[in-house]
Formats: sequence, structure tokens, C-alpha cells
Amino acid sequence: MEDSAFSEDFFAFIQSAVPSVAAAELLLLVARQPERWWTVAEIRSELPADVNMDDGGIASCLEALRARGLVEIEAQRGARYHAATEALESHVKTLARAYNERPVTLIRMIYALRDTKIQSFANAFKLRKS
Amino acid sequence: METFNFILYLMAVLTCLACTMLLGRGYLNSGERLLLWSTLCFVGLSVSNILLFFDLIVYPTEIDLRLWRLAAALAGLVFLLYGFIWEAEDNR
Amino acid sequence: MIEFLSGAVTLGYLIAALFFLRFWRRTADRLFITFALAFVLFALNQGLAHVFAVYHEPTSFVYALRVLGFVLILYAIIDKNLSTRSVRYPIEGKRQV
Repeated sequence: MEDSAFSEDFFAFIQSAVPSVAAAELLLLVARQPERWWTVAEIRSELPADVNMDDGGIASCLEALRARGLVEIEAQRGARYHAATEALESHVKTLARAYNERPVTLIRMIYALRDTKIQSFANAFKLRKS
Repeated sequence: METFNFILYLMAVLTCLACTMLLGRGYLNSGERLLLWSTLCFVGLSVSNILLFFDLIVYPTEIDLRLWRLAAALAGLVFLLYGFIWEAEDNR
Repeated sequence: MIEFLSGAVTLGYLIAALFFLRFWRRTADRLFITFALAFVLFALNQGLAHVFAVYHEPTSFVYALRVLGFVLILYAIIDKNLSTRSVRYPIEGKRQV
């Protein structure tokens, strides 16, 4: 998977929808079975063991994904993957590819994108702009 | 000794002003709100250090600006902490 | 009033230092740990100046803490401009480390 597969739009998607590796794991988990309705407990039990998210974290992550148009939530049934647009669907596919083929790059990307504001503080002290 | 103090306190003022300008320029270039609050912080710290300079070096016995120095520094730090708490995370 | 302000400023510097520490852990950028140390020194300076009732600061050892803090900030700025770090991740062509 080349760097060119990572478009500006994909960066924007990651920055707005995937604030952590745990969030990526959760999104990919529900996207793998798009017809299935999940409860928080089911998600918690099926996430990889090394993902540290408690029930509250899972719930707020689902809410954030819902706000982003990636998940639909119904009170009785739980949450289900549902991409609101084709663009989002394609971004999720790219995310899945990156997760499988270039996980280290993906993780670095997620955290670099998360920290852009903080990094801008440090970069302000560069006298010469690149 | 007096000259030494003069230079060191001047350095403090100049360093604060440099930070103010660098962060301010960063804000004007990027529009990143975190940099706005950071700039305001160093404005406050610059004012505090300028007042300190006048208080201790220029007019050591005539005036006591401690209240204003501290108020300026506190204002600056409040701006900074506000920025760090609300504007440092991306898209939460 | 001055006691209140002095305490508030001391705590302000300390909390800011904690944030800088957190940013350093997030980004591994040396500038943040340097700022964290500088702000700890400013906090110490403010706290000790009050505890020891230091009003004519230039004649006290306490002010060396302030000086050291500013030297650290200058060092951070110089270090930021001298060290060449490889680009960690190019994002929108502008925000590079």
C-alpha cells in the first residue's frame, strides 16, 4: 500500500473520526459485520485484548462515531456500522487496508494527526518557516 | 553587579518578547487558536517582566509594582491554561 | 491580595509545567520538556520569593531560578532551530516536525 493511498481527505477523516488506535480498532470491528447490532458488552468482549477501553469509553466512542456518520445507534438494539456517505465508506476501507498492511504507519499517522495543535506550538518557535 | 543584574533582567524581558512575537506570528500564519492563547500568555509574562525590570532595576526604592507584576503574570497564565485545556486537543 | 496572587501564579506555573510535560510525552519534542523545566523553575522562584519575603530580588539567590528558567527557554528556541529532525508525518504540507 503506497503513501499515495493516503489522501488529504483520508487524513482529515482520521483526524475527525479516529482519535486513537482504540477507536480505530472499534470502528474496524463493527465495520467487519455491517449488518450486526452490537451492545457495548459485546464490543468489549470482541475487541482485541490489548485495547484498553472500558464501557464508558466504548459508549463515548460510539457516540462520536455516530456524530461523524459512521454508526447508527438505537436504544433497544445497540449500535450498528452504517457509513452515511460513500466517501466515508471508502475511508473505512482504506483504514482497514492500512491496519492490515501498514499498521505502524497508521498508528504513527493517528497520533501525529492528534497532536497537530500541540506541535504547532513547538513549530512556532522555528525562526525560518520551511 | 548592577550591570550584571541589568543584563539578566533585560534578557528576561527580551526572551518573553521573543516568545510573544514567535507565537503571535505562528497564530497569524496558521490561525491555530492554541497559539492565540499562548501569545496572550507571553504578553502577560512580558508585561510582568517589564514591570519587574522597572520595579527592581530602574526604580528600586521609589515604587513597588508587585501587585501589578503578579496580576499580569496571572492573567497570562490563565490565558495559557485556558488554551491548553480547551484548544490543545484535535476534534474532541 | 499579594499573597493570593503569589500563590495563584505559583500554581499557574506548576500546572502549565504539567501540561508541557504531557505534551512532551505526546510528541517527544524536546522543546516541551525544556519549557516544563523552565516553568517549574518560575514556580519555585515565585513560591520561594514569597516564602522568604524576598522583595529586593536581585540580591537573592532565588532570582537565579528565574534566570535559569529564561536560559532554558532560550535554549529551547535555539535548539528548535538548530536540530534537524526528519519529518515525522507530512500533514497538509504545512505542519511538519
